[in-house]
Amino acid sequence: MEKIDTALKTTILQHPERRYIMFGGKGGLGKTTFSAATAYWLASQGKKVLVFSVDPQASLSDIFQRDIFGKGPVKILENLWAQEIDADQHIKQYQGEIRQKILDMYGFESVPEEIEQYIQAASAEPAMEESAIFDAVVDVVVRGDYDYYIYDLVPLGHALYYLSMAKVYDEWITKITRLREEMAEYQGMVSRMKREKETEEDQILTELQDIRSRINTSARILTDREKTAFFFVLIPEEMILLDTLKAAGMFAKFNVPVSGYVVNRVVPHELLQQDIPAYLRNRIQMQDRYLAQIDRTFGSQVLARVPELERDVSGTEMIERLAGIMYGQDGS
Amino acid sequence: MQIQLKWPEKLRGIRQVARDFMYGMLGMEFANHAMEMRASLESLFMLATVGEMIGVPVLPPYYSLRLLPYLVPQIKTWKRRVLREREFTDEPDYHLEGL
Repeated sequence: MEKIDTALKTTILQHPERRYIMFGGKGGLGKTTFSAATAYWLASQGKKVLVFSVDPQASLSDIFQRDIFGKGPVKILENLWAQEIDADQHIKQYQGEIRQKILDMYGFESVPEEIEQYIQAASAEPAMEESAIFDAVVDVVVRGDYDYYIYDLVPLGHALYYLSMAKVYDEWITKITRLREEMAEYQGMVSRMKREKETEEDQILTELQDIRSRINTSARILTDREKTAFFFVLIPEEMILLDTLKAAGMFAKFNVPVSGYVVNRVVPHELLQQDIPAYLRNRIQMQDRYLAQIDRTFGSQVLARVPELERDVSGTEMIERLAGIMYGQDGS
Repeated sequence: MQIQLKWPEKLRGIRQVARDFMYGMLGMEFANHAMEMRASLESLFMLATVGEMIGVPVLPPYYSLRLLPYLVPQIKTWKRRVLREREFTDEPDYHLEGL
């Protein structure tokens, strides 16, 4: 156990260039608690850390016992900031900006009804939220105010969905950019024939290029081998093991570099020495079976086993304790 | 030199001409209409399946909103152009002058 436990710490310390740390896995396995504990440990090492979540059911607020939802980066402790991105709020604000831009550009009193309807309809699209979230993430990350960004990831599906979307978006934008450039060529021809001055710079083209760079930035955060450490969280149960294997395969397809696996909720073996009910004894035996299977499957990529605690992790005290378990008791 | 056709062959030829004449008078119109319908459905189908090829993709709404302000002046005319009912003979490819 001791040997395994330092592996997670060593992996993080050996790669200080990996500034984006992510814990991924199915919902409810402990991604948020691991994010919080890791952020706490790094902050205690004197690093400036932002732990942020894009999950609409974010639990950073619960774990830090502070209401931080949609409030921007909130300072929790020395060196430690936490942020929960409110996608709805972000979309509303974005819609507002679009409306204002239309009013400013054309001097309208109000947004024409047809346009307003489109704005409303577009915002109801399911892909809207993902795009808004990842766009917000780009804003957070591009600013680069922190040494470490700990990304409390939404359940895996969303991340993969976004990565595949990013590819499609990129192709789409490449296409319409080309179309736009062709249009500009014709426009140029017309201008020349009419002996007009060269037309002004195409603002749509500028926007398109900016959109593309944003999409690529957000996709790169997930796939950058140099700067990203992605850890899978799993628990010793069959379903979770199978799902993790499946997810790992899909992540590999999208070139998401997996740095390792962290096993959570391991019932302490020491309990076996006590007089415990058969129920608990069976669970420990079951977990042993799957732990062995996890070790066989992932080998040295299993970086830590984190025990099931006697109470849930919330509040700085419990986070500190968990950080101690994950990264060493002395916090060093 | 004229080739002498036998009666049965002549009859067949006349029948063919008559059939073509009738087709031209009555059938062609319908056939063309059907082809036109098929073509318009096909283009709709293409748009729905591989629309991306002509730049009508499954549009990422978040980013199309960013372009919206610049497109405002064109939207009315574009909609009128794309959504108006069209006669197949409006298509320049089917103009019959000079045929």
